[in-house]
Amino acid sequence: MTALVRAEWTKLFTTRVWIGLLLGSCVMVAGFAILFTSFAGNAQSGLPAVGTEQYEELAFATAANVTVLFLILGIIGMTQEYRHRTATPTFLTTPKRGRVVIAKLIGYALAAVPFALVVLAVNVLVVWIHAGARGAAPSLTGDNLRILASSGLALVIYALIGVGLGALLRNQVGAIVGGLVYLFVIEPIIRSIPATAGAYKWMPGGALEALTATFEGPDLLEPWQGGVLLLGYGLVAALLGTLLAVRRDVV
Amino acid sequence: MRLDGWDGRPTTRETAIQPGSTAHRDPVRVEVRGLTKTFGAVRAVDDLTFTVEPGSVTGFLGPNGAGKTTTMRMVLGLEEPDSGTATFNGAAYATLPAPVRTVGAVLETAFHPARSGRNHLRVYCRAAGLPLSRADETLRQVGLADAGGRRAGGYSLGMRQRLALATALLGDPAVLVLDEPANGLDPEGIQWLRGFIRHLAHDEGRTVLVSSHLLSEMEHTADRVVIVGAGRLVREGSIAELRSGAQGAGTVLVRSPEADRLSAVLTSAGLAATRSEDGLVTVTDTTPAAVGARAFAAQVELHELRAETSGLEALYFRLTAGQEQFAAGPTPTTTEGAAR
Repeated sequence: MTALVRAEWTKLFTTRVWIGLLLGSCVMVAGFAILFTSFAGNAQSGLPAVGTEQYEELAFATAANVTVLFLILGIIGMTQEYRHRTATPTFLTTPKRGRVVIAKLIGYALAAVPFALVVLAVNVLVVWIHAGARGAAPSLTGDNLRILASSGLALVIYALIGVGLGALLRNQVGAIVGGLVYLFVIEPIIRSIPATAGAYKWMPGGALEALTATFEGPDLLEPWQGGVLLLGYGLVAALLGTLLAVRRDVV
Repeated sequence: MRLDGWDGRPTTRETAIQPGSTAHRDPVRVEVRGLTKTFGAVRAVDDLTFTVEPGSVTGFLGPNGAGKTTTMRMVLGLEEPDSGTATFNGAAYATLPAPVRTVGAVLETAFHPARSGRNHLRVYCRAAGLPLSRADETLRQVGLADAGGRRAGGYSLGMRQRLALATALLGDPAVLVLDEPANGLDPEGIQWLRGFIRHLAHDEGRTVLVSSHLLSEMEHTADRVVIVGAGRLVREGSIAELRSGAQGAGTVLVRSPEADRLSAVLTSAGLAATRSEDGLVTVTDTTPAAVGARAFAAQVELHELRAETSGLEALYFRLTAGQEQFAAGPTPTTTEGAAR
């Protein structure tokens, strides 16, 4: 299994996809952090003021907003095998295809850790500089630290969900578009309709919100439950993908 | 540019790489038994049984759509057969302890276009637990040593075929399964490939199964052929056996300044002779010897006498006639085979 995980890393780091997604994540997290800080305390924005506990938790949860790029990283990691037809040599080398999926889950989860740390570092740095300039740089302690860590964890778990989703759908464009539509169209609708809002806390978005949420929101699970639920979604997708899709003939 | 020169690279180097390194490799026999696969209403492979012996090149021959690729993919465990088995010394591909050390395969050429050839190979070195140095060794073996650092997306078709071959050789396998490996190679590349394939089988004792739709290609490469049509086994045997069973079956072209008289002589002798442009007479279903004898007896001057299709080719066409999935017409043209 170690050999297969290392093979996945060789795949990951011998194309430039990871650089693009990591840079994109850094730019996005910096952009959101600057946006939140700029409008902090602005009455019309509804954002809490710099120096308040709510602002600090919000600012340190910014990384949770770039989970989508980590999702795409995982999706590409799995679906590129089908897109570029390397599934054939990959499955020739490892005929037990479930092992390939497991290696990708482990490989991308582990690779996502340093990526997430970079994103968190950018987040903290931008917040410190910007909020510091506006009066009060938040400290990295207590709830602030917990929120920051949960956001990083969310990034890692989303990379893993991406692998699972990719295994299930196999089609790269389909998986990415499907993931985006789900996250930005379907879930927000479910969240906003009272009749279905109760189900939201059990969905990936609700679980993410539970893991990283800071101030008032809908009815949610405990943070740790949210994390476990998210992880479960990733693993179930990977398991179903292995059983239903990956085992199918490669054509 | 260098790029254009690659396919035609001199072929002296690769033979020096692993001279007779057979000691560590046990011979492996490939057995295909009753393999059957149906796609919807189409029976792509129908109860196919044949054996591939170590130390020889077995040509897997048939028109496009005859089920060659599907068969190879089933042999390699990439597609699930409806029934039947394919085994390597008795073991199915999926149960081989170290598949790439036993079997190497060239199927469709599949690379990430942004990854260099060397890194492509290193991925599979890692996955198979092989030393990374195998990447450079196999690149050298296929004549791509200097192109290994370049993106595979920029490779010519011939270079891609060579990279696919390098991928197959990574594990120094006892068996090679090659699906139309000559596709995209220029004439020099094809010449190189023929020698390389024979070297892998004859000098290194590997078991080689190589598919082609061109009989002429197999005549130069294979020791034995397995001919399939419409998913079924049509004929299996050595090239020599096939040739001896195919005497007198070809089309002969003969040119004479007295074409009209020649045509009449041949027709009266019961041969199917057709007079065409420029003193050319086409005689079907005969041999150059038979035509020459008639012409000599009638004292007709000949300027040219040759077999347009060999008896073997004619036999191949007869065996597989009408079995192409998308046949162009009732009489398959012979130029494709003759051109090579």
